[in-house]
Amino acid sequence: MGILSSPFDKKPNSVTQLMLWVIVATIPGLIAQVYFFGFGVLINILLASFTALITEATILKTRNRPVQRTLFDGSALVTAWLIGLALPPLLPWWMTVVGTTFAIVFAKHLYGGLGNNIFNPAMVAYVLLLISFPVQMTAWLPAAELAQNSLSFYDTLSYIFTGTSSQGYDLNHVRQGVDGFTMATPLDHVKTELSQGYRIVEIQSSPIIGGLSGIGWQWINLGFLFGGIVLLLRKVAAWHIPVGVLAGMMLMSGFLYVLSPDQYLSPLFHWFSGATMLGAFFIATDPVTASTTPKGRLIFGLGIGVITVLIRTFGGYPDAIAFAVLLMNMTVPLLDYYTKPRTYGHSKNQGNRHVR
Amino acid sequence: MERSNFTSEIPIYEIPGGIHPEEHKTESNQTAISSLPLAKEFVINLKAQAGNRSAPTVELGQSVLKGQVIAKNDGVFSSFQHAPTSGTVTAIEKRPIAHASGLEDLCIVIKSDGRDSWVKLERNEEYKSLSREQILARIFEAGIVGLGGASFPSHIKLQRSEGIETLIINAAECEPYISCDDKLIQENAVEILKGAEIISHLYNKLNIIIGIEDNKPKAIEAIKVAREKLKLDVKIGVVPTKYPSGGEKQLIQLLTGKEVQQGKLPADLGLVMHNAGTCFAIYEAIIDGKPLVDRVVTLTGNACPKKGNYRVPIGTPVKHLIDSVQTQDYQQLIMGGPMMGFEIHSLHAGIVKATNCIIMAAKSELSQPQDVAPCIRCGECMIACPASLLPQQLYWHAKADEFEKAEDYNLFDCIECGACAYVCPSDIPLVQYYRYAKSSIRNNRLEKIKADKARDRHEARLERIERVKREKAEKHRKAAETRRKAAEASGKNDAKKAAVEAALARVQAKKKAQAEQSDLKPKQDEGS
Repeated sequence: MGILSSPFDKKPNSVTQLMLWVIVATIPGLIAQVYFFGFGVLINILLASFTALITEATILKTRNRPVQRTLFDGSALVTAWLIGLALPPLLPWWMTVVGTTFAIVFAKHLYGGLGNNIFNPAMVAYVLLLISFPVQMTAWLPAAELAQNSLSFYDTLSYIFTGTSSQGYDLNHVRQGVDGFTMATPLDHVKTELSQGYRIVEIQSSPIIGGLSGIGWQWINLGFLFGGIVLLLRKVAAWHIPVGVLAGMMLMSGFLYVLSPDQYLSPLFHWFSGATMLGAFFIATDPVTASTTPKGRLIFGLGIGVITVLIRTFGGYPDAIAFAVLLMNMTVPLLDYYTKPRTYGHSKNQGNRHVR
Repeated sequence: MERSNFTSEIPIYEIPGGIHPEEHKTESNQTAISSLPLAKEFVINLKAQAGNRSAPTVELGQSVLKGQVIAKNDGVFSSFQHAPTSGTVTAIEKRPIAHASGLEDLCIVIKSDGRDSWVKLERNEEYKSLSREQILARIFEAGIVGLGGASFPSHIKLQRSEGIETLIINAAECEPYISCDDKLIQENAVEILKGAEIISHLYNKLNIIIGIEDNKPKAIEAIKVAREKLKLDVKIGVVPTKYPSGGEKQLIQLLTGKEVQQGKLPADLGLVMHNAGTCFAIYEAIIDGKPLVDRVVTLTGNACPKKGNYRVPIGTPVKHLIDSVQTQDYQQLIMGGPMMGFEIHSLHAGIVKATNCIIMAAKSELSQPQDVAPCIRCGECMIACPASLLPQQLYWHAKADEFEKAEDYNLFDCIECGACAYVCPSDIPLVQYYRYAKSSIRNNRLEKIKADKARDRHEARLERIERVKREKAEKHRKAAETRRKAAEASGKNDAKKAAVEAALARVQAKKKAQAEQSDLKPKQDEGS
């Protein structure tokens, strides 16, 4: 439809611009991730991006939609980018392809394509892979400075496509820490140790837990925090969701921490470990699947923060951003419905008065 | 753009939403208001005000003088129209009008005699000796309507006298490109304030506030000088430049912190708001006795070589204006601002009292129809909405024809300012959807009223038929009864007699037959 009536003036912005800004803002975190875990993440991103674009093009064609315009709106690329950032660096290539294809076909297009999906496609892919291949999906590497064996670009490629290094070592070879033990992520480590009866102070003496939340991970989170703040300043994302996520996390973990600092991690540790900052600023802020009202967005974020801490603390998985996001995605229609802002000239409760 | 460093004399409150489009005002506000050569023909639209169409009072071929009444009100919610120049009435017919619809409506066409001679005007410096009713009548008869854009007849706005404490002069002029009020204030601040004084007098003194955006430093200066000169107590409320701060409801919120409650009027807050241009027109009508026959129009846009403000007689055809400024190739012709104006369909339409601006847009100056991308629910529209609506939900519901739900989301509180469509990264023409939904709902209501009426008519008809049937039957029954009664009355005894006679006859016949039979029978008993 062409413009038939006012306004005739238009802010020079577009969906593509917004999407590109999201991608650009992930770069500091991405650099940190490459620094600590090698080139795996870059290969994942490339794999996911190709898969996403090919799948998107195929399905657009099947659905008789304009391929070129929609393909390059950037939305499929952002989904792929987020999947690539979230996956462990040496994940077998076909898992990345399966996850991404599933995200585009099932989580996005079966709902009607961009703008109509209920669930965050990147997180659908992540959860699909996590529950299908729990071992591979939790096989993170030790941060570079803790690793016993260094990892070259060629080895990374080899692991991803063949499952072994160029010299024929299996994955455990590179997952060994300096002390010879297989390394988990700090969150995973804490969970395992706690289950064995250690106290937080004791666990924190472990070499992988250093600084705010653990070698490597704190920097990755700081990188995403920095990029996220850029997004907020550029007004690509509204502040409500990230602030909600961090506040929810702070409230829940703070409460537990005050109850028993021996058993529960501090809010700061939660903030800077795992996928917290990536989730808060880049994943939860996906506008399509988040709440659309200011109050709704705040609650949406709070929910993600609280659920993440609960699952990290009491659930079976070390991290939980993906589950928390999907769970809160389900609440969006309800949140939107009950958090309508007060319209000019209306009294407070009129917003929810309904003729049903 | 230049900002005034004048501090507002009253506290300024926040309004939600709003946008900051490029202002484009300096292009047209650097030169003094001037005039253009007189057009040869004027087309005066009789339905140019909110309310009823004016009724022509002139005849074909009649010669008229400038300022002479050519059409008068139809009811109180209507307005007077005056000849914008002297000449001859050459047509009273349907012509294309300056309206978004591009439709035709009844117009009076006047051929100019080139002399531009006025009717005799009655000056009146001593308006204070006039009664409220007299002043209102003069405003009414001068054909004054709101010049800010809505063309609401001013006499109606001024009618209510109880409870009004404050007059707000709307000089915000928040739409990009337009600078006619800015220039008018710079050059005629004294007259505008005198107009405000007249309004104040109508209510036995009001507090006067002038609300103006901070991108008009020269106008603010002019007001300061004028109030000094008139020794008039006027508070200057300087609001930050943000579209749409000049909307009536928005400016009230900015200057008072109050909201006009749903279904209420500014008057319910003790406020009455008039545009600066309207104040000037009221001054001219009361003091100079001049009816509203011209207004300041901003001619601008990159395709307009002589950008500026011009005093243009009402009814001047658009074509005359664009020819007079020797416009180059223009891509689009917009009447009003880029945010709420409309594209002009016919160059022969005459300008109306609400025409504040004509943008002659060069190629790619204004946005062109875009490929619409899907809504990604980013919520930019919600952030931009000055009425705190959820434009995105309204869009989904309007698109799906779910009008009831759109109404639930307060569709009718939308002022169609266009801020949402301006910020939409998917280039969705949101306002168009809202207009569609609103007009569909209005139509449905009309249809419902019509349907209700039709049903009532139908039911009435059925009832009438039934009644007629009943009445007929009753009549027949009564007639039959009357006949019977009449028959009874006239032959009551005969009937009885007849019945008796008939009965007797039957008996005799029987006896006779019996007798005959016994005669024929052999008398066996007697013989045996």
